[in-house]
Amino acid sequence: MNPSEQDLSYSREIRSNAEDVALIRRMCDADETALGALYDRWMRSLYSLVFHLLKDADEAEDVVEETFWQAWQKASSYEPSRGAVSTWLLTIGRRRALDRLRAKGRRREESLTGEAGGLAAIAAPGADPSAAVEASERRTHVLAALRELPDEQREVLDLGYFQGLSQTEIADATGQPLGTVKTRMRLAMQKLREPLSMYRESAQ
Amino acid sequence: MNNLTHEEAFEELAAVALDAVSADVAQAVREHAAACPECGPALFAMEETVAQLGQLVPQRAMNAGHGAGIRSRLIMRARTERESHSAVVPGPPDLSRGVASLTGLGHKLTPGTQRAVDAEVKKVLPRQPSRPSYFSGARLLAMAASIAFVLTALQLARVTADRNAMRAERISRVDTIPKRDTVTPRASEKEALVAAMAGPDVKMVPLATKTATPMGHMFWNRASNDWTMVVYTMPPPKPGMTYQVWLVTDKAKISAGTFQPDSSGHAFMQANYALPRNALKAVAVTEEPAGGMPAPTGPIVVSGSAAP
Repeated sequence: MNPSEQDLSYSREIRSNAEDVALIRRMCDADETALGALYDRWMRSLYSLVFHLLKDADEAEDVVEETFWQAWQKASSYEPSRGAVSTWLLTIGRRRALDRLRAKGRRREESLTGEAGGLAAIAAPGADPSAAVEASERRTHVLAALRELPDEQREVLDLGYFQGLSQTEIADATGQPLGTVKTRMRLAMQKLREPLSMYRESAQ
Repeated sequence: MNNLTHEEAFEELAAVALDAVSADVAQAVREHAAACPECGPALFAMEETVAQLGQLVPQRAMNAGHGAGIRSRLIMRARTERESHSAVVPGPPDLSRGVASLTGLGHKLTPGTQRAVDAEVKKVLPRQPSRPSYFSGARLLAMAASIAFVLTALQLARVTADRNAMRAERISRVDTIPKRDTVTPRASEKEALVAAMAGPDVKMVPLATKTATPMGHMFWNRASNDWTMVVYTMPPPKPGMTYQVWLVTDKAKISAGTFQPDSSGHAFMQANYALPRNALKAVAVTEEPAGGMPAPTGPIVVSGSAAP
């Protein structure tokens, strides 16, 4: 992707977030139609994420509804300086989904046994990003960076992000020292940050 | 855990972004990051990265009926909450407000009745607990008052229905579909309302303006032939005009009745009409002279394709 394509992609995302922020402001003014519009824009992404975490359509629908209701109630707490609206929404939804997993004591073992799911499946060489995700250039870069991660770093991210395990639990699950888990997690995050840094710098 | 050193906080940033540490540790790290020029931006960037991970998962569509039902519930809950917060001092009834009716008879409900209808719909579509103040004494009093409004409005609606039935005969030549005698969800209709808007046989047609601004949905339960339409942010029709709904097939444009949105632009309509499962091509709303027309004559205000 050349720089001009990069700028275009980034400007599209900025414009999209500006529209989201405008909706949040209307929600702060108790405009429920803005809630509906925000739902239309992000329901699919949010549902996809929480379904991926919960593997249960009914529970995923509940979490989607809870998330948007929380967004309505807490709209005034959203701070644009702390990230995009989509980041805020997905963070709320993921936390709610993980709370459900934790409450039920569910711990999926697929990643540890290499069966399926999580980042391993997403980053598999055969996975077609244009078919698997809404192809944003930004996501494509993150996906590429994900594929470049060593398996042990991707596993730590997977257990932390998709399984909701704490660092201590990851250490127990993988048999690695806690310090090793922390290092792998930090390195993995730093590598994934690079594509985002590139976009951020291009906007400055 | 307070007073983390910079090194200690920096080491935990990734885990905090991933929610992979205890709440105490996360809070301590965030407190440090809030004042640290290195950790603050780093944590922010990592949280963005984590959010990107969330968008890498395979996209999956929610059941259309369920998705639309959740949307409707959210809007109704938000609207109910807004109105309950703003209704500090009850004012005189606003007779300009109303719930749309497929009868085309222009039944009007007072604001109190409107809130009660919303509350009824919310009961039909029960969901999450609301804000802590939701069950406050003031709210319970407001609900009680709303129920009283409902009883009064139902009596008025019956009288109005009789009067308007005579008026409706004037447009009997209009090919309209059979309609229900009231739009107020009765106790016996509650479960039917849920079934009408969700389920494997429900086809949802999104309605939007020409500029693609979403304006509502039509739900068609092809098993029961129930039609339920919810629209929002509709501008008021011109004086002497009304909105008319059309079910568009290859062979005809079938009137599904007329409606007037309330002062907030919302309308909720129901009807029952049998149509072959694959016959519907589109749903359209036009602006027509009051009382409706046998065929569309006015401009399309909102429409939606029924194509799969």
